[in-house]
Amino acid sequence: MSDSVLEQHGPEWLRVMLRIRFFEGSLADLFERGQLVGVVHLSIGQEAVAAGICSALEPGDQITTTHRGHHHMLARGLEPEPMLAEILGKATGYCRGKGGSMHVACFERGVTGANGIVGGGIPMALGLALAAQELGSGGIAVAFFGDGASSQGTFHETLNLAALWRAPAVFVCENNRYGEFTPTERAIAGPGVAARAAGYGIPGVAVDGHDVQAVHAAALEAVERARAGGGPSLLECVTTRVRGHHEGEENYAGTYREAPLGPDPIDLLDAALGQPGLRARLEAEERELVARALAAAQAAPDPDPATALEDVFA
Amino acid sequence: MNGSPSGANRLAPAIADAIAQEMRSDPRVLVWGEDVTIGVMGPTRGLAAEFGESRVRDCPISEAGFVGAAVGAAIGGLRPVVDIMFSSFAYVAFDQLVNQAGRMRYMTGGQLSVPLVVIGSAGAAGANAAQHSEVPPALFLNGGGLRVAFPSTPHQAFWLTRAAIRSDDPVIVLHHPALAAARGPVGAEPLELGQAEVGPEGDDVTILAVGLMAHRARSAAGKLAAEGIAAEVVDVCSLSPMPWETILASVRKTGRVVVVDEARLTCSVASELAAGVAEWAFGDLRAPVRRLAVPDVPIPFAPGLEAAVIPDEDAIARVVRETVGA
Ligand SMILES: Cc1ncc(C[n+]2csc(CCOP(=O)(O)OP(=O)(O)O)c2C)c(N)n1
Repeated sequence: MSDSVLEQHGPEWLRVMLRIRFFEGSLADLFERGQLVGVVHLSIGQEAVAAGICSALEPGDQITTTHRGHHHMLARGLEPEPMLAEILGKATGYCRGKGGSMHVACFERGVTGANGIVGGGIPMALGLALAAQELGSGGIAVAFFGDGASSQGTFHETLNLAALWRAPAVFVCENNRYGEFTPTERAIAGPGVAARAAGYGIPGVAVDGHDVQAVHAAALEAVERARAGGGPSLLECVTTRVRGHHEGEENYAGTYREAPLGPDPIDLLDAALGQPGLRARLEAEERELVARALAAAQAAPDPDPATALEDVFA
Repeated sequence: MNGSPSGANRLAPAIADAIAQEMRSDPRVLVWGEDVTIGVMGPTRGLAAEFGESRVRDCPISEAGFVGAAVGAAIGGLRPVVDIMFSSFAYVAFDQLVNQAGRMRYMTGGQLSVPLVVIGSAGAAGANAAQHSEVPPALFLNGGGLRVAFPSTPHQAFWLTRAAIRSDDPVIVLHHPALAAARGPVGAEPLELGQAEVGPEGDDVTILAVGLMAHRARSAAGKLAAEGIAAEVVDVCSLSPMPWETILASVRKTGRVVVVDEARLTCSVASELAAGVAEWAFGDLRAPVRRLAVPDVPIPFAPGLEAAVIPDEDAIARVVRETVGA
């Protein structure tokens, strides 16, 4: 990675990664205090994947993500306040309180949506890519998904279709080495997720997902290839899930974690940047930004029960 | 109009005509599915010759993949029409239809539209056994967020397919394999999703039916007329939105209802119709509502067994006679 890329993107990466860290941390706190409805799957430790990939995208591109997708949305530029409002089930949430943590979406800003079905968003991204291709918008689509999802039929079917039709798509597997409580080695046969691309004749690259520079470099190549009509790629970003599968799973604590934690992606980037004082300044700003967003989201009204009957049909 | 624009006066070609017309006027409309270029199931036959193999695209055997991609394409601004072949193959893509297509608008607070059409055959056409003879609309209706149409005539097929493609909701259009060659005029008066067709009219009893059962109900009504029983058939060709007004108006007039369904009885469309009638027109009923449907078994293979479980004209006529006390 040339120093100029680091100079260009480094401070923004650091900012967004800190935003993600504080955002997710505030949800962990809320959960701890019993102030969250539903379940949240946090992305602490995986910030570099979101930052590295999303900084390679353009405003007209679309992403689909998963139950564990807050980091992708924040890196894509969604606002913390309506995101938190959605996660808290408020009327001011991006989805008017109808989606919640696993379904935050803002199409206008290039986040078609998250998904509660493992593997559910992968073909959707292919369709978004095909629509962009067909309509000549110049956009591409990125599907984020976990290592567990790479054993779903939709993953394989989508890769085959995308390769066949040279779709302008990038498939990003965020391999955090667990699907729920099952380590990847016990779920994935063969040499790994990236190697699965070979069967479809498309590039399959594995990178260190803790290293935002490595992720970004691989993303740029895949994105440029897609945009230039070269077809889809599969990127496997090997990363670390620091929290459990979801908050509140202490029942399982100590029963399954076998893999050691990887390096902290924020520390890595901070060290690479080597700019004394930058991290502290950004931390203060982002901590404040998230705190204000949370206060506003908590103060927002609950949805009118009558709206429960709206938005089913056009 | 006598026949759809190309003169088609049979059901499957009328669907193809409707698709072609929408494809001509809207470049966003495209067709995906297995063997759609040769049009193996009928509703896409001839389309590839006019629109090319990019807009009419053969897909690998990957229902979850291409239906899922069609959901995304619809969200992204296209208007895909997927021929899923047998509608029971939609079960392979059930997640994509029910969890994705049917829920996206709602879960995103109205942000996303999924203008997707999925066409599939529904019903028994003779010894196709249980996995190729399904009539699945109840599953889709209960899924929520999906529109369902089940035309039984070329007129209904032409207009409901057009309405489906123009709809901003995901719509499943079913067609009965035994009716693919069914003849009939295509009138100039459009039919919209949410409308039913009434005919023949009658005062003694209402028969509610769809697809092949609507045909059988109409012939049973003809037979009963000769016996002096005036049965009115409401062809519920649109199941979502359900044309309750038309249904209840007929029930209020006749006070007697027989519902016929080619699906299994439990939690069927027939059950839904019977429940709605009982709830909203109870005071107008002169006799208990009767449901005639497939017993709770998979559709059997042997022709004699198949015929034994699917309501026929005689069974319909018998239940109608019992209902009117004849
Ligand atoms: C179709 C489906 N099967 C199972 C689940 C339950 N489930 C939720 S998350 C998950 C693990 C997913 O693992 P992975 O794809 O690696 O994503 P990660 O949680 O590690 O981000 C499972 C099995 C689900 N939501 N959907």
